[in-house]
Amino acid sequence: MQAQTPLRVAAAADLEPILPPILEQFHQATGIRAEATFQASAMLTAQIMNGAPFDVFLSADLGYPKKLIDAGLADAAGTADSSTPITYAKGTLVLWTRKDSPLPPPSLDLLRNPALKRLAIANPDRAPYGRAAVAALTSLKLYDALKPRLATAENIAQAAQFVDSGNADAGLISLTSAMTPHMASSGTWFVIPRDLYPPLEQGAVIVSNTTQRAAVHKLLDYLLSPPIQAQLAKSGLTPVH
Amino acid sequence: MDWQALALTLKLASVTTAILLAIAVPLAALLVLGRSRWLAALEALAALPLVLPPTVLGFFLLVLLGPRTSVGRGITALLGHPLAFSFDGLVVGSVIYSLPFAVQPLVAGFAAVQPNLVDAARLLGAGSVRIVVSLLVPLARRSLVAAAVLSFLHTVGEFGVVLMLGGDIPGATRTLSIVLYNQVENFDYAAANHTAAILLGLSAAALAILYSKGLRRGSAYRA
Repeated sequence: MQAQTPLRVAAAADLEPILPPILEQFHQATGIRAEATFQASAMLTAQIMNGAPFDVFLSADLGYPKKLIDAGLADAAGTADSSTPITYAKGTLVLWTRKDSPLPPPSLDLLRNPALKRLAIANPDRAPYGRAAVAALTSLKLYDALKPRLATAENIAQAAQFVDSGNADAGLISLTSAMTPHMASSGTWFVIPRDLYPPLEQGAVIVSNTTQRAAVHKLLDYLLSPPIQAQLAKSGLTPVH
Repeated sequence: MDWQALALTLKLASVTTAILLAIAVPLAALLVLGRSRWLAALEALAALPLVLPPTVLGFFLLVLLGPRTSVGRGITALLGHPLAFSFDGLVVGSVIYSLPFAVQPLVAGFAAVQPNLVDAARLLGAGSVRIVVSLLVPLARRSLVAAAVLSFLHTVGEFGVVLMLGGDIPGATRTLSIVLYNQVENFDYAAANHTAAILLGLSAAALAILYSKGLRRGSAYRA
């Protein structure tokens, strides 16, 4: 057991505040060590396509892991459908403002307020939460009006920095970011109604080159187990069961 | 090819280079000619932007220039708009980020001018400004060109600071390096290759022309 090479987990950046303690508990429970690398899902996908030595990929969406399956580099073998990523959690989009903001508290009305000069979002071309933000604004028929006032961040963590630093008046960010201790103490948020954007399903895939398939399956089962799913819920992710 | 982003990048690099030379020539002259022992600290300070990861530098600037500091509020009141997410903000970030690339070659160039020439100029009654303008700058013109070229290119390739401070706004803060990064991240490798090829081609041509003009022959003596 001690000689085991740690599992290498490629994990979406929104898992950074959540995953390390879970991996530590997994080690306690099973004796299997796992080490996570946090990056934007797009970056991790490009790295795996170019042979990065990961065993498992926990994406912030279903599109990137699906891309890897289609390229023959990853799979979901051992599950009901080996060509569909395993959904392990769902994300939630929130509208966040600082508590000391002169604007009214966050609500859908705030998005229609002309005093909202800068709205931070993540890059809609690749960040799943950015895509959800644009979808929500489009559903509200506000996207065209707000487009010139958007400040686009590279990822959801940076969108949070834009608004937490006071440079943007409000931000459409992830509930996981909003619930980190720092952001929870400096701001308030409004949960964007879920019918305004397609579900933010987060998918996992096994990197096909892994030499530790059995251990990867143990980790995936562990992530989907009721106690860990309950733990995800406390961090701003919605359990899948 | 995003020509708007290319035009914005060239404008940002030109404005930044002009401001940097205006700051770096007197600063480098002070560092070389001055006698105060505080100058070593000043020289160290001018090299510090090299140490921080650019995105972290961008983050500090985002906070410093934002409405939560008195500096940021003062600048906003002065300009009528916040610096973050604006072209002016990128200029401020770029000047700080590229400062060492302007100062270092100039310090090296000015220091290579023979001290007896400076002493002779002083004995003949030249003031510090005259020494810089009529002696150091002409003798160190290769260093001046190097400082300008490095500042310009470093700003063209600047990414982390622009990423943090810019907010990717077309026509205002979306520079070519951001466009290129977005293309790579979106798996649009054909467009990325195209953008990179144009950027590299233009830069290589511009540099070759610059280096062929008078920097090779004759005038290469010293400096």
